[in-house]
Amino acid sequence: MPYPIDWTKFRELFEYVPHDPLLFGSSMFIFFFIAVLAVYRFFNGSNSFRVYTLIFFSLFFYYKAAGIYLLLLVFIAIINFYAGAWIFNAKTQRYKRLILTATIIVNLGLLGYFKYTNFFFEILNGLKVGHFDMLDIFLPIGISFYTFKAMSYLIEIYFEMLEPINSLRNFSLFVFFFPNVLMGPIDRAVNFLPQIEEKPVFTKEKIGLAVFLLCTGLFKKYVLADYISLNFTDRVVGFPLRFTGVENLLAVYGSALQGYADFSGYTDMALAIGLLLGFELMDNFNRPFKAYSVAEYWRRWHLSLSTWLLDYLFRPLQISLRNYRKLGTAIAIFITFFVVGIWHGPSFTFILFGLLHSFFLVFSMYTQPYRDEFYDKLKIRNTKWLRVLQIIFTFHLLAFTAILFRAPSLKYAGDMIKQIFTYFHSEVFTQYVVAYPSIVFLIVIGYVSHFLPDSWEKKTVDILGKTPLVFQAIILAVMIWLVAQVRSAQMQPFLYFKF
Amino acid sequence: MISEKLLAVIKKELNLNNDFELKPEMTASQVPGWDSLNHINIIVSIEKEYGIKFKGLEILKAKNIGDLQALVNSKFPA
Repeated sequence: MPYPIDWTKFRELFEYVPHDPLLFGSSMFIFFFIAVLAVYRFFNGSNSFRVYTLIFFSLFFYYKAAGIYLLLLVFIAIINFYAGAWIFNAKTQRYKRLILTATIIVNLGLLGYFKYTNFFFEILNGLKVGHFDMLDIFLPIGISFYTFKAMSYLIEIYFEMLEPINSLRNFSLFVFFFPNVLMGPIDRAVNFLPQIEEKPVFTKEKIGLAVFLLCTGLFKKYVLADYISLNFTDRVVGFPLRFTGVENLLAVYGSALQGYADFSGYTDMALAIGLLLGFELMDNFNRPFKAYSVAEYWRRWHLSLSTWLLDYLFRPLQISLRNYRKLGTAIAIFITFFVVGIWHGPSFTFILFGLLHSFFLVFSMYTQPYRDEFYDKLKIRNTKWLRVLQIIFTFHLLAFTAILFRAPSLKYAGDMIKQIFTYFHSEVFTQYVVAYPSIVFLIVIGYVSHFLPDSWEKKTVDILGKTPLVFQAIILAVMIWLVAQVRSAQMQPFLYFKF
Repeated sequence: MISEKLLAVIKKELNLNNDFELKPEMTASQVPGWDSLNHINIIVSIEKEYGIKFKGLEILKAKNIGDLQALVNSKFPA
Protein backbone atom coordinates (compact mmCIF):
# COMPACT_ATOMS: atom_id res chain seq x y z
CA MET A 1 0.00 0.00 0.00
CA PRO A 2 1.46 3.37 -0.97
CA TYR A 3 2.43 5.65 1.88
CA PRO A 4 -0.36 8.25 2.21
CA ILE A 5 0.65 11.87 1.62
CA ASP A 6 -0.23 14.16 4.50
CA TRP A 7 -1.56 17.13 2.56
CA THR A 8 -1.84 19.28 5.72
CA LYS A 9 1.89 18.94 6.24
CA PHE A 10 2.51 19.70 2.60
CA ARG A 11 0.40 22.86 2.78
CA GLU A 12 2.25 23.91 5.90
CA LEU A 13 5.45 24.07 3.89
CA PHE A 14 4.06 27.09 2.10
CA GLU A 15 2.14 28.63 4.98
CA TYR A 16 3.17 30.81 7.85
CA VAL A 17 3.69 28.67 10.94
CA PRO A 18 4.45 30.72 14.06
CA HIS A 19 8.01 30.30 15.38
CA ASP A 20 8.98 28.18 12.40
CA PRO A 21 10.84 30.39 9.91
CA LEU A 22 12.99 28.95 7.14
CA LEU A 23 16.28 28.72 9.02
CA PHE A 24 19.48 28.78 6.99
CA GLY A 25 20.90 25.28 7.20
CA SER A 26 17.51 23.59 7.66
CA SER A 27 16.61 20.96 5.09
CA MET A 28 13.55 22.96 3.99
CA PHE A 29 15.63 26.04 3.35
CA ILE A 30 18.24 24.06 1.43
CA PHE A 31 15.49 22.50 -0.69
CA PHE A 32 13.86 25.85 -1.53
CA PHE A 33 17.18 27.58 -2.04
CA ILE A 34 18.48 24.99 -4.50
CA ALA A 35 15.23 25.34 -6.45
CA VAL A 36 15.57 29.14 -6.51
CA LEU A 37 19.25 28.93 -7.43
CA ALA A 38 18.49 26.57 -10.31
CA VAL A 39 15.81 28.88 -11.74
CA TYR A 40 18.01 31.90 -11.09
CA ARG A 41 21.07 30.52 -12.83
CA PHE A 42 19.06 29.08 -15.69
CA PHE A 43 17.63 32.51 -16.50
CA ASN A 44 20.92 34.28 -15.86
CA GLY A 45 20.51 36.24 -19.10
CA SER A 46 17.36 38.09 -18.08
CA ASN A 47 18.01 40.65 -15.40
CA SER A 48 14.33 41.30 -14.93
CA PHE A 49 13.56 37.64 -14.40
CA ARG A 50 16.37 37.28 -11.87
CA VAL A 51 15.22 40.30 -9.88
CA TYR A 52 11.59 39.15 -9.81
CA THR A 53 12.65 35.63 -8.79
CA LEU A 54 14.56 37.10 -5.86
CA ILE A 55 11.74 39.46 -4.87
CA PHE A 56 9.19 36.67 -5.01
CA PHE A 57 11.30 34.26 -2.98
CA SER A 58 12.27 36.98 -0.48
CA LEU A 59 8.60 37.79 0.10
CA PHE A 60 7.83 34.12 0.61
CA PHE A 61 10.82 33.79 2.97
CA TYR A 62 9.64 36.75 5.04
CA TYR A 63 6.05 35.50 5.00
CA LYS A 64 7.24 32.18 6.45
CA ALA A 65 8.87 34.14 9.27
CA ALA A 66 6.30 36.83 10.02
CA GLY A 67 3.02 35.98 8.26
CA ILE A 68 0.78 38.92 7.52
CA TYR A 69 3.43 41.36 8.76
CA LEU A 70 4.87 40.92 5.34
CA LEU A 71 2.71 43.96 4.58
CA LEU A 72 4.77 45.99 7.02
CA LEU A 73 7.93 45.12 5.10
CA VAL A 74 6.27 46.19 1.86
CA PHE A 75 5.04 49.43 3.47
CA ILE A 76 8.56 50.26 4.72
CA ALA A 77 9.94 49.76 1.21
CA ILE A 78 7.30 51.95 -0.44
CA ILE A 79 7.46 54.84 2.01
CA ASN A 80 11.26 55.04 2.01
CA PHE A 81 11.43 54.76 -1.76
CA TYR A 82 9.14 57.75 -2.34
CA ALA A 83 10.57 59.77 0.54
CA GLY A 84 14.05 59.36 -1.00
CA ALA A 85 12.86 60.98 -4.24
CA TRP A 86 11.05 63.76 -2.33
CA ILE A 87 14.18 64.60 -0.36
CA PHE A 88 16.26 64.72 -3.52
CA ASN A 89 13.77 66.93 -5.39
CA ALA A 90 13.03 69.28 -2.49
CA LYS A 91 14.05 72.84 -3.33
CA THR A 92 15.37 74.00 0.02
CA GLN A 93 17.56 72.38 2.65
CA ARG A 94 14.87 73.06 5.22
CA TYR A 95 12.30 71.14 3.23
CA LYS A 96 14.74 68.25 2.70
CA ARG A 97 15.34 68.06 6.42
CA LEU A 98 11.60 68.16 7.12
CA ILE A 99 10.88 65.19 4.84
CA LEU A 100 13.85 63.28 6.24
CA THR A 101 12.72 63.89 9.83
CA ALA A 102 9.10 62.97 9.09
CA THR A 103 10.07 59.71 7.36
CA ILE A 104 12.50 58.76 10.10
CA ILE A 105 9.71 59.36 12.63
CA VAL A 106 7.44 57.00 10.66
CA ASN A 107 10.18 54.33 10.51
CA LEU A 108 11.16 54.65 14.14
CA GLY A 109 7.51 55.06 15.17
CA LEU A 110 6.66 51.67 13.68
CA LEU A 111 9.77 50.11 15.17
CA GLY A 112 8.94 51.73 18.51
CA TYR A 113 5.35 50.59 18.49
CA PHE A 114 6.14 46.95 17.78
CA LYS A 115 9.20 46.74 19.94
CA TYR A 116 8.94 49.15 22.84
CA THR A 117 5.27 49.87 23.65
CA ASN A 118 5.03 47.35 26.48
CA PHE A 119 8.43 48.31 27.85
CA PHE A 120 7.30 51.92 27.95
CA PHE A 121 4.09 50.91 29.74
CA GLU A 122 6.13 48.88 32.20
CA ILE A 123 8.23 51.96 33.03
CA LEU A 124 5.12 54.15 33.39
CA ASN A 125 3.49 51.55 35.64
CA GLY A 126 6.69 51.38 37.69
CA LEU A 127 6.70 55.14 38.07
CA LYS A 128 3.05 54.92 39.15
CA VAL A 129 1.92 57.59 36.69
CA GLY A 130 -1.10 55.49 35.89
CA HIS A 131 -1.89 51.92 35.05
CA PHE A 132 -1.42 50.60 31.55
CA ASP A 133 -2.38 47.06 30.58
CA MET A 134 0.23 45.30 28.47
CA LEU A 135 -0.76 44.93 24.84
CA ASP A 136 -0.47 41.73 22.89
CA ILE A 137 1.91 42.99 20.23
CA PHE A 138 3.57 40.70 17.73
CA LEU A 139 7.20 41.55 17.05
CA PRO A 140 7.75 41.29 13.28
CA ILE A 141 11.04 39.45 12.98
CA GLY A 142 13.90 41.48 11.51
CA ILE A 143 12.14 44.84 11.88
CA SER A 144 15.19 46.45 13.56
CA PHE A 145 17.34 45.32 10.67
CA TYR A 146 15.23 46.25 7.67
CA THR A 147 14.03 49.62 8.95
CA PHE A 148 17.66 50.60 9.50
CA LYS A 149 18.55 49.29 6.07
CA ALA A 150 15.79 51.31 4.42
CA MET A 151 16.66 54.45 6.41
CA SER A 152 20.25 54.30 5.14
CA TYR A 153 18.86 55.08 1.68
CA LEU A 154 17.14 58.25 2.91
CA ILE A 155 20.09 59.47 4.93
CA GLU A 156 22.54 58.86 2.11
CA ILE A 157 20.33 60.90 -0.23
CA TYR A 158 20.10 63.65 2.38
CA PHE A 159 23.90 63.60 2.79
CA GLU A 160 24.17 63.81 -1.03
CA MET A 161 26.15 60.56 -1.16
CA LEU A 162 23.53 58.86 -3.30
CA GLU A 163 20.96 59.81 -5.92
CA PRO A 164 17.54 58.18 -5.65
CA ILE A 165 16.82 55.34 -8.05
CA ASN A 166 13.80 55.26 -10.33
CA SER A 167 12.96 51.63 -9.86
CA LEU A 168 10.66 50.68 -6.99
CA ARG A 169 11.32 47.08 -8.05
CA ASN A 170 15.06 47.39 -7.40
CA PHE A 171 14.55 49.28 -4.16
CA SER A 172 12.13 46.58 -2.98
CA LEU A 173 14.74 43.94 -3.64
CA PHE A 174 17.21 45.93 -1.52
CA VAL A 175 14.75 45.98 1.41
CA PHE A 176 13.33 42.45 0.97
CA PHE A 177 16.55 40.59 0.06
CA PHE A 178 16.12 37.34 1.97
CA PRO A 179 19.73 36.66 3.00
CA ASN A 180 19.83 39.81 5.15
CA VAL A 181 16.19 40.68 5.86
CA LEU A 182 15.91 38.86 9.20
CA MET A 183 19.23 39.43 10.91
CA GLY A 184 21.38 41.66 8.76
CA PRO A 185 23.98 42.60 7.70
CA ILE A 186 22.31 46.02 7.54
CA ASP A 187 23.55 46.64 4.03
CA ARG A 188 23.96 50.14 2.63
CA ALA A 189 21.86 51.25 -0.31
CA VAL A 190 24.95 52.79 -1.88
CA ASN A 191 26.68 49.37 -1.99
CA PHE A 192 23.73 47.15 -2.78
CA LEU A 193 21.64 49.00 -5.38
CA PRO A 194 24.31 49.16 -8.14
CA GLN A 195 24.78 45.36 -7.89
CA ILE A 196 21.18 44.71 -8.95
CA GLU A 197 21.70 46.03 -12.47
CA GLU A 198 25.05 44.31 -12.95
CA LYS A 199 25.13 40.88 -14.51
CA PRO A 200 26.45 38.58 -11.77
CA VAL A 201 29.91 37.18 -12.33
CA PHE A 202 30.65 33.89 -10.59
CA THR A 203 34.42 33.70 -10.40
CA LYS A 204 36.28 30.78 -8.86
CA GLU A 205 37.38 33.04 -6.01
CA LYS A 206 33.80 33.98 -5.19
CA ILE A 207 32.60 30.40 -5.27
CA GLY A 208 35.58 29.39 -3.09
CA LEU A 209 34.69 32.11 -0.61
CA ALA A 210 31.02 31.06 -0.62
CA VAL A 211 31.95 27.43 0.12
CA PHE A 212 34.31 28.57 2.89
CA LEU A 213 31.65 30.81 4.45
CA LEU A 214 28.99 28.11 4.25
CA CYS A 215 31.33 25.71 6.07
CA THR A 216 32.35 28.22 8.76
CA GLY A 217 28.77 29.41 9.14
CA LEU A 218 27.36 25.92 9.60
CA PHE A 219 30.16 24.98 11.98
CA LYS A 220 29.89 28.15 14.09
CA LYS A 221 26.12 28.07 14.38
CA TYR A 222 25.19 24.40 14.56
CA VAL A 223 28.30 22.88 16.10
CA LEU A 224 29.78 25.57 18.34
CA ALA A 225 26.89 27.84 19.33
CA ASP A 226 24.02 25.37 19.59
CA TYR A 227 25.98 22.62 21.29
CA ILE A 228 27.56 24.92 23.86
CA SER A 229 24.30 26.71 24.62
CA LEU A 230 22.04 23.65 24.89
CA ASN A 231 24.46 21.54 26.87
CA PHE A 232 26.04 24.15 29.05
CA THR A 233 25.50 27.91 29.03
CA ASP A 234 21.67 27.87 28.95
CA ARG A 235 21.62 25.79 32.11
CA VAL A 236 24.08 28.00 34.00
CA VAL A 237 22.58 31.28 32.83
CA GLY A 238 19.11 30.04 33.77
CA PHE A 239 20.12 29.00 37.31
CA PRO A 240 23.46 30.62 38.21
CA LEU A 241 23.05 29.93 41.95
CA ARG A 242 23.03 26.16 41.35
CA PHE A 243 26.58 26.30 40.01
CA THR A 244 29.97 27.15 41.44
CA GLY A 245 31.97 30.22 40.48
CA VAL A 246 34.21 28.13 38.21
CA GLU A 247 31.23 26.92 36.21
CA ASN A 248 29.78 30.43 36.07
CA LEU A 249 33.12 31.77 34.82
CA LEU A 250 33.30 29.03 32.18
CA ALA A 251 29.74 29.93 31.22
CA VAL A 252 30.84 33.55 30.81
CA TYR A 253 33.59 32.44 28.39
CA GLY A 254 31.23 29.97 26.74
CA SER A 255 28.47 32.58 26.33
CA ALA A 256 30.82 35.12 24.78
CA LEU A 257 31.94 32.53 22.24
CA GLN A 258 28.41 31.27 21.67
CA GLY A 259 27.06 34.79 21.05
CA TYR A 260 29.77 35.43 18.50
CA ALA A 261 29.48 31.99 16.86
CA ASP A 262 25.69 32.28 16.60
CA PHE A 263 25.59 35.72 15.05
CA SER A 264 28.70 35.51 12.90
CA GLY A 265 27.72 31.99 11.83
CA TYR A 266 24.44 33.37 10.55
CA THR A 267 26.26 36.23 8.84
CA ASP A 268 28.71 33.85 7.16
CA MET A 269 25.79 31.89 5.73
CA ALA A 270 24.02 35.10 4.65
CA LEU A 271 27.18 36.32 2.88
CA ALA A 272 27.67 32.94 1.21
CA ILE A 273 24.06 32.81 -0.01
CA GLY A 274 24.45 36.39 -1.28
CA LEU A 275 27.62 35.39 -3.18
CA LEU A 276 25.90 32.39 -4.77
CA LEU A 277 23.25 34.81 -6.06
CA GLY A 278 25.90 37.24 -7.31
CA PHE A 279 25.65 39.81 -4.48
CA GLU A 280 28.42 40.97 -2.19
CA LEU A 281 26.93 41.93 1.15
CA MET A 282 28.64 44.00 3.80
CA ASP A 283 30.72 41.98 6.25
CA ASN A 284 29.72 42.13 9.88
CA PHE A 285 32.66 40.67 11.83
CA ASN A 286 36.41 40.81 11.91
CA ARG A 287 37.52 38.54 14.76
CA PRO A 288 36.13 40.76 17.53
CA PHE A 289 38.00 39.10 20.39
CA LYS A 290 41.30 40.18 18.87
CA ALA A 291 40.42 43.75 19.85
CA TYR A 292 42.89 45.47 22.16
CA SER A 293 40.41 48.13 23.27
CA VAL A 294 36.65 48.51 23.45
CA ALA A 295 36.80 51.12 20.67
CA GLU A 296 38.67 48.59 18.51
CA TYR A 297 36.05 45.96 19.37
CA TRP A 298 33.35 48.15 17.82
CA ARG A 299 35.40 48.23 14.64
CA ARG A 300 35.27 44.42 14.60
CA TRP A 301 31.83 43.45 15.96
CA HIS A 302 28.47 43.86 14.18
CA LEU A 303 30.10 46.29 11.78
CA SER A 304 26.99 46.97 9.74
CA LEU A 305 25.23 48.33 12.84
CA SER A 306 28.26 50.07 14.38
CA THR A 307 29.22 51.86 11.16
CA TRP A 308 25.56 52.77 10.55
CA LEU A 309 25.39 54.44 13.95
CA LEU A 310 28.86 55.91 13.55
CA ASP A 311 28.03 57.57 10.21
CA TYR A 312 24.42 58.58 10.79
CA LEU A 313 24.23 59.28 14.51
CA PHE A 314 27.59 59.60 16.25
CA ARG A 315 29.37 61.82 13.69
CA PRO A 316 26.48 64.26 13.16
CA LEU A 317 26.07 64.52 16.95
CA GLN A 318 29.78 64.96 17.50
CA ILE A 319 29.94 67.69 14.87
CA SER A 320 26.97 69.58 16.24
CA LEU A 321 28.51 69.43 19.74
CA ARG A 322 32.01 70.26 18.46
CA ASN A 323 32.43 73.45 20.45
CA TYR A 324 32.39 71.37 23.64
CA ARG A 325 35.35 69.39 22.25
CA LYS A 326 35.98 66.29 24.42
CA LEU A 327 32.80 66.73 26.41
CA GLY A 328 30.81 66.95 23.16
CA THR A 329 32.37 63.69 21.97
CA ALA A 330 31.62 62.08 25.34
CA ILE A 331 27.95 63.11 25.07
CA ALA A 332 27.81 61.79 21.49
CA ILE A 333 29.30 58.45 22.65
CA PHE A 334 26.82 58.25 25.50
CA ILE A 335 23.80 58.88 23.25
CA THR A 336 25.06 56.50 20.53
CA PHE A 337 25.60 53.66 22.97
CA PHE A 338 22.28 54.24 24.65
CA VAL A 339 20.83 53.64 21.17
CA VAL A 340 23.07 50.55 20.72
CA GLY A 341 21.63 49.18 23.97
CA ILE A 342 17.98 49.94 23.30
CA TRP A 343 18.27 48.81 19.64
CA HIS A 344 18.91 45.31 20.94
CA GLY A 345 15.66 45.21 22.79
CA PRO A 346 13.25 46.59 25.35
CA SER A 347 15.10 45.61 28.47
CA PHE A 348 17.16 47.21 31.22
CA THR A 349 19.90 44.62 30.67
CA PHE A 350 20.47 45.98 27.15
CA ILE A 351 20.35 49.60 28.30
CA LEU A 352 22.92 48.81 30.98
CA PHE A 353 25.03 47.04 28.34
CA GLY A 354 25.04 50.18 26.18
CA LEU A 355 25.78 52.46 29.11
CA LEU A 356 28.68 50.30 30.30
CA HIS A 357 30.22 50.37 26.84
CA SER A 358 29.83 54.15 26.64
CA PHE A 359 31.50 54.39 30.04
CA PHE A 360 34.45 52.25 28.86
CA LEU A 361 34.88 54.41 25.75
CA VAL A 362 34.61 57.74 27.54
CA PHE A 363 36.92 56.56 30.33
CA SER A 364 39.42 55.39 27.71
CA MET A 365 39.23 58.71 25.85
CA TYR A 366 39.90 60.81 28.96
CA THR A 367 42.68 58.60 30.32
CA GLN A 368 44.46 57.96 27.00
CA PRO A 369 47.11 60.71 27.37
CA TYR A 370 47.96 59.61 30.93
CA ARG A 371 48.10 55.95 29.97
CA ASP A 372 50.39 56.72 27.04
CA GLU A 373 52.64 58.73 29.34
CA PHE A 374 52.69 55.85 31.83
CA TYR A 375 53.53 53.29 29.11
CA ASP A 376 56.28 55.57 27.81
CA LYS A 377 57.80 55.81 31.26
CA LEU A 378 57.87 52.02 31.54
CA LYS A 379 59.04 51.82 27.90
CA ILE A 380 56.31 49.31 27.07
CA ARG A 381 54.19 51.37 24.69
CA ASN A 382 53.48 49.51 21.43
CA THR A 383 55.22 46.38 22.72
CA LYS A 384 53.84 42.96 21.89
CA TRP A 385 53.25 41.83 25.41
CA LEU A 386 51.40 45.03 26.33
CA ARG A 387 49.11 44.30 23.36
CA VAL A 388 48.53 40.78 24.66
CA LEU A 389 47.62 42.11 28.09
CA GLN A 390 45.32 44.69 26.53
CA ILE A 391 43.60 41.98 24.46
CA ILE A 392 43.08 39.79 27.55
CA PHE A 393 41.79 42.74 29.59
CA THR A 394 39.46 43.92 26.79
CA PHE A 395 38.18 40.38 26.31
CA HIS A 396 37.18 40.17 29.96
CA LEU A 397 35.38 43.50 29.83
CA LEU A 398 33.48 42.25 26.78
CA ALA A 399 32.75 38.79 28.17
CA PHE A 400 31.39 40.21 31.41
CA THR A 401 29.20 42.79 29.70
CA ALA A 402 28.02 40.04 27.33
CA ILE A 403 26.40 38.39 30.38
CA LEU A 404 23.80 41.13 30.07
CA PHE A 405 22.98 39.78 26.63
CA ARG A 406 22.24 36.32 27.86
CA ALA A 407 20.85 36.82 31.37
CA PRO A 408 17.04 36.88 31.61
CA SER A 409 17.23 39.88 33.96
CA LEU A 410 19.69 42.02 35.89
CA LYS A 411 19.26 39.74 38.91
CA TYR A 412 20.56 36.71 37.01
CA ALA A 413 23.54 38.67 35.69
CA GLY A 414 24.28 39.82 39.26
CA ASP A 415 23.98 36.24 40.55
CA MET A 416 26.54 35.00 38.03
CA ILE A 417 29.05 37.63 39.08
CA LYS A 418 28.32 36.98 42.75
CA GLN A 419 29.01 33.25 42.33
CA ILE A 420 32.29 33.94 40.55
CA PHE A 421 33.54 36.22 43.30
CA THR A 422 32.15 34.52 46.40
CA TYR A 423 31.77 30.82 45.60
CA PHE A 424 34.57 30.08 43.17
CA HIS A 425 35.71 26.52 44.16
CA SER A 426 38.64 26.17 41.76
CA GLU A 427 38.87 22.41 42.48
CA VAL A 428 35.66 21.92 40.46
CA PHE A 429 37.54 22.86 37.27
CA THR A 430 39.28 19.49 36.80
CA GLN A 431 36.07 17.63 37.64
CA TYR A 432 34.28 19.72 35.05
CA VAL A 433 36.84 19.05 32.35
CA VAL A 434 36.68 15.29 33.03
CA ALA A 435 32.88 15.25 33.12
CA TYR A 436 32.24 17.41 30.04
CA PRO A 437 35.25 17.06 27.73
CA SER A 438 33.23 17.77 24.57
CA ILE A 439 32.09 21.19 25.82
CA VAL A 440 35.57 22.18 26.95
CA PHE A 441 36.98 20.90 23.65
CA LEU A 442 34.52 22.97 21.61
CA ILE A 443 35.15 26.13 23.65
CA VAL A 444 38.92 25.68 23.18
CA ILE A 445 38.51 24.97 19.43
CA GLY A 446 36.29 28.05 19.09
CA TYR A 447 38.77 30.40 20.73
CA VAL A 448 41.90 28.90 19.16
CA SER A 449 40.43 29.18 15.65
CA HIS A 450 39.36 32.74 16.42
CA PHE A 451 42.93 33.77 17.22
CA LEU A 452 44.59 32.08 14.22
CA PRO A 453 46.35 34.53 11.89
CA ASP A 454 44.00 36.26 9.42
CA SER A 455 46.29 35.20 6.56
CA TRP A 456 45.38 31.54 7.16
CA GLU A 457 41.78 32.30 6.33
CA LYS A 458 42.79 33.98 3.08
CA LYS A 459 45.00 31.03 2.12
CA THR A 460 42.19 28.55 2.81
CA VAL A 461 39.80 30.57 0.65
CA ASP A 462 42.39 30.68 -2.16
CA ILE A 463 42.86 26.91 -2.01
CA LEU A 464 39.10 26.31 -1.96
CA GLY A 465 38.70 28.63 -4.96
CA LYS A 466 41.17 26.49 -6.95
CA THR A 467 39.54 23.22 -5.86
CA PRO A 468 37.38 21.54 -8.54
CA LEU A 469 33.63 21.91 -8.08
CA VAL A 470 33.18 18.22 -7.23
CA PHE A 471 35.57 18.48 -4.30
CA GLN A 472 33.96 21.70 -3.13
CA ALA A 473 30.63 19.87 -3.08
CA ILE A 474 32.22 16.98 -1.15
CA ILE A 475 33.72 19.37 1.41
CA LEU A 476 30.35 21.02 1.87
CA ALA A 477 28.60 17.66 2.13
CA VAL A 478 31.08 16.53 4.80
CA MET A 479 30.38 19.71 6.76
CA ILE A 480 26.61 19.17 6.51
CA TRP A 481 27.12 15.57 7.65
CA LEU A 482 29.24 16.75 10.59
CA VAL A 483 26.54 19.25 11.55
CA ALA A 484 23.89 16.53 11.36
CA GLN A 485 25.96 14.35 13.71
CA VAL A 486 26.46 17.03 16.34
CA ARG A 487 23.22 18.89 15.93
CA SER A 488 20.64 18.72 18.65
CA ALA A 489 17.27 17.14 17.89
CA GLN A 490 15.74 20.52 17.16
CA MET A 491 17.44 23.48 15.56
CA GLN A 492 17.87 26.43 17.86
CA PRO A 493 16.65 29.81 16.64
CA PHE A 494 19.36 32.40 16.05
CA LEU A 495 19.95 34.64 19.07
CA TYR A 496 19.68 37.83 17.04
CA PHE A 497 16.19 36.93 15.74
CA LYS A 498 14.72 38.55 18.83
CA PHE A 499 16.31 41.90 17.97
CA MET B 1 46.64 72.97 -3.65
CA ILE B 2 46.51 72.99 0.13
CA SER B 3 47.30 76.39 1.63
CA GLU B 4 50.14 76.83 4.10
CA LYS B 5 47.67 78.17 6.62
CA LEU B 6 45.48 75.07 6.53
CA LEU B 7 48.52 72.77 6.65
CA ALA B 8 49.79 74.62 9.70
CA VAL B 9 46.46 74.24 11.53
CA ILE B 10 46.27 70.50 10.82
CA LYS B 11 49.91 69.86 11.74
CA LYS B 12 49.59 71.83 14.95
CA GLU B 13 46.49 69.93 16.07
CA LEU B 14 48.01 66.54 15.26
CA ASN B 15 51.51 67.41 16.58
CA LEU B 16 52.90 66.43 13.19
CA ASN B 17 56.44 67.09 12.11
CA ASN B 18 56.79 69.99 9.69
CA ASP B 19 58.35 67.63 7.13
CA PHE B 20 55.27 65.37 7.06
CA GLU B 21 53.70 65.69 3.64
CA LEU B 22 49.93 66.16 3.53
CA LYS B 23 48.38 65.66 0.10
CA PRO B 24 44.89 66.73 -1.06
CA GLU B 25 43.74 63.15 -1.71
CA MET B 26 44.73 61.95 1.76
CA THR B 27 41.92 60.84 4.07
CA ALA B 28 41.90 60.95 7.86
CA SER B 29 42.85 57.28 8.17
CA GLN B 30 46.07 57.92 6.19
CA VAL B 31 47.32 60.59 8.57
CA PRO B 32 48.76 59.48 11.92
CA GLY B 33 46.71 60.65 14.89
CA TRP B 34 43.74 61.87 12.83
CA ASP B 35 41.03 60.08 14.83
CA SER B 36 37.47 61.22 15.37
CA LEU B 37 38.41 63.30 18.41
CA ASN B 38 41.22 65.10 16.61
CA HIS B 39 38.95 65.57 13.62
CA ILE B 40 36.72 67.73 15.81
CA ASN B 41 39.75 69.63 17.15
CA ILE B 42 40.93 70.32 13.59
CA ILE B 43 37.50 71.53 12.48
CA VAL B 44 37.12 73.83 15.49
CA SER B 45 40.65 75.20 14.97
CA ILE B 46 40.01 75.89 11.27
CA GLU B 47 36.80 77.72 12.13
CA LYS B 48 38.65 79.78 14.73
CA GLU B 49 41.71 80.50 12.61
CA TYR B 50 39.71 81.62 9.58
CA GLY B 51 36.84 83.19 11.54
CA ILE B 52 34.28 81.07 9.67
CA LYS B 53 31.48 78.68 10.58
CA PHE B 54 30.77 75.39 8.79
CA LYS B 55 27.42 73.68 8.54
CA GLY B 56 27.22 70.17 9.96
CA LEU B 57 26.39 68.65 6.58
CA GLU B 58 29.35 70.41 4.92
CA ILE B 59 31.75 68.83 7.40
CA LEU B 60 30.20 65.39 6.99
CA LYS B 61 30.59 65.59 3.24
CA ALA B 62 34.32 66.42 3.31
CA LYS B 63 36.10 63.15 2.60
CA ASN B 64 39.74 64.22 2.31
CA ILE B 65 42.10 67.15 2.86
CA GLY B 66 41.34 68.52 -0.61
CA ASP B 67 37.61 68.64 0.25
CA LEU B 68 38.45 70.47 3.45
CA GLN B 69 40.46 73.08 1.52
CA ALA B 70 37.60 73.48 -0.99
CA LEU B 71 35.20 73.95 1.91
CA VAL B 72 37.37 76.70 3.41
CA ASN B 73 37.70 78.35 -0.01
CA SER B 74 33.91 78.30 -0.46
CA LYS B 75 33.61 80.57 2.56
CA PHE B 76 35.73 83.24 0.81
CA PRO B 77 34.13 84.00 -2.55
CA ALA B 78 36.61 85.54 -4.97
